[in-house]
Amino acid sequence: MLHHSNTSSFINHEVSDFDFGELEEAIVLQGVKLNNNNHEIKQTLYSTVKPAATLEMFPSWPIRFQQRGSSKSGEESTDSGRSPMNTLSSTRLETESESPISRKASPEQQAAAAAAAFDYKHHHLQPLQRLRQVEMASGSDSPGTGISQATHATATATAKQTPDKRRRGPGSNSEKVLDAKTLRRLAQNREAARKSRIRKKAYVQQLESSRIRLSQLEQDLQRARSQGLFLGGGVANGNISSGGAVFDMEYARWVDDDHGHMTELRTALQSHLSDGDLRVIVDGYITHYDEIFRLRGVAAKSDVFHLITGMWATAVERCFLWMGGFRPSDLIKMLISQLDPLTEQQLVGIYGLQQSTQQAEEALSQGLDQLHQSLLDAIANSSLNDSMHHMVVALGKISNLEGFVRQADNLRQQTLHQLRRVLTVRQAARCFVVIGEYYGRLRALSSLWASRPRESLMTDNNGEMTPGMQMLQPSHQINQFSHF
Amino acid sequence: MQCQSESQSYYSSASRVVGVGGGGGNGSSEPMEAVLRLASSSAVVVFSVSTCCMCHAVKRLFSGMGVSPTVHEIDRDPKGKEIEKALARLLGGSSAVPVVFIGGKLIGAMDRVMASHINGTLVPLLKEAGALWL
Repeated sequence: MLHHSNTSSFINHEVSDFDFGELEEAIVLQGVKLNNNNHEIKQTLYSTVKPAATLEMFPSWPIRFQQRGSSKSGEESTDSGRSPMNTLSSTRLETESESPISRKASPEQQAAAAAAAFDYKHHHLQPLQRLRQVEMASGSDSPGTGISQATHATATATAKQTPDKRRRGPGSNSEKVLDAKTLRRLAQNREAARKSRIRKKAYVQQLESSRIRLSQLEQDLQRARSQGLFLGGGVANGNISSGGAVFDMEYARWVDDDHGHMTELRTALQSHLSDGDLRVIVDGYITHYDEIFRLRGVAAKSDVFHLITGMWATAVERCFLWMGGFRPSDLIKMLISQLDPLTEQQLVGIYGLQQSTQQAEEALSQGLDQLHQSLLDAIANSSLNDSMHHMVVALGKISNLEGFVRQADNLRQQTLHQLRRVLTVRQAARCFVVIGEYYGRLRALSSLWASRPRESLMTDNNGEMTPGMQMLQPSHQINQFSHF
Repeated sequence: MQCQSESQSYYSSASRVVGVGGGGGNGSSEPMEAVLRLASSSAVVVFSVSTCCMCHAVKRLFSGMGVSPTVHEIDRDPKGKEIEKALARLLGGSSAVPVVFIGGKLIGAMDRVMASHINGTLVPLLKEAGALWL
């Protein structure tokens, strides 16, 4: 007795009420076949694979039960041969509880679950069958035999044979009658199971929504940064200077104005204005660029690093920045093929401009290199005593940065002015349209890159994504998420 | 030659100031004189400070064009401070170095040199002064 109570109590601890309650309920109710129940049975039976396995580890009763489990029909005939009704009910119960498994499980899982369920069932059903036998017997037979059958039942009783069950006694004659305690216990188990499921679902949903929100925030952040409008904290230390912020706003307005100038130039070219009228528009574009160089001069005085590190620029621009802006020789190189037809003199002028810009850029770059080297020397070769002095020297060198940015901007401005001088009015108009479109596309690259679909590996041989493929990306992405 | 007369007239006006005022003294004219004398001594003259990076840039610009300028490092000149003041006065108050003379004629600081190179006037000046061939 002691042994059995120990094992039964141990087993009660091993398997949660959740698992036990569902299966027990299904067995007891005998064919209350809601979909939920089947699903729960499946779940519990899956989850009971392990508990059943551990139960089999115990030497006391598993051997007998395994033998019992292997010969299902024989066992039934021996145990419940006397009551045909029991046999029928037991088989019905077995099929009922097994069918959800066989329907939904893989073969291995099916076998394991079936085996587990089988063992599990026998832990349940044997006692129940015995009980019914006891009840039947007690109703019909002498107390003596009933008692002996009852003891036999308890001797062979395994898991889940609670005292409540054994003490069911004479009051419950029919299989379908459930006493209050059982009902309450079943209801509690059901409730606990439902609550646990709800908690789990809520947690998973929370995780999912947080993940999606995080990825959206990251995308927004990257997009804003690439457009250079992240005034809140675009730099590593998270702070943008007031001078930098002011310049960013002015630059954004300048870019807007640039679009307006572009439209004006294009319209003017298409409508074949007179040279005089066109000249006004072209000179207006030169003034527009003079304005940004003036603003940059002001910004260089207040925050040279904001300019020179390109915090005002889009990501792609920033990557290939030269001295805080575009490289004039690159611009000329881009324009040379697009400025046809040019006279001999104009060609000489343009190629001369290309060469002089290259030489000037080279000179400025070398000057900046020397600044870099002397700065590093200043902070490297400082002893403990005069480290402050060296820091002051280094700060003095940094103050020269403004000069270099100013010279670079001067170079850019002079290049544009010289272009205007070499070309005719109409050529200059076309040239500036090309320049405006070129930088517009360059600026657009960064936001296109930032908003590209992440999951895609659908590129062609050149590693470029075709627009058609790009259209496919979002649906591909959505499908992946729908699995969750 | 035009440059020579210009500098001479400047010199004479400076000395006149000295003569009348009695103040300022010889110190104010001598550096300017020295500067102008140095500026005329060769085809391309650069006044520089040895540690100045922009001066380094202008030197690289000329050497990149195949020009060998005469460089006066004023921080190594005993009269450097006065020369610096004179140069600042020539430029109109901005920083003193680098300052470039071509053929004795004042070109200016870095921005003027760059602008003249971009607009194509630097090379003819260099050729005229005999600093560039071809």
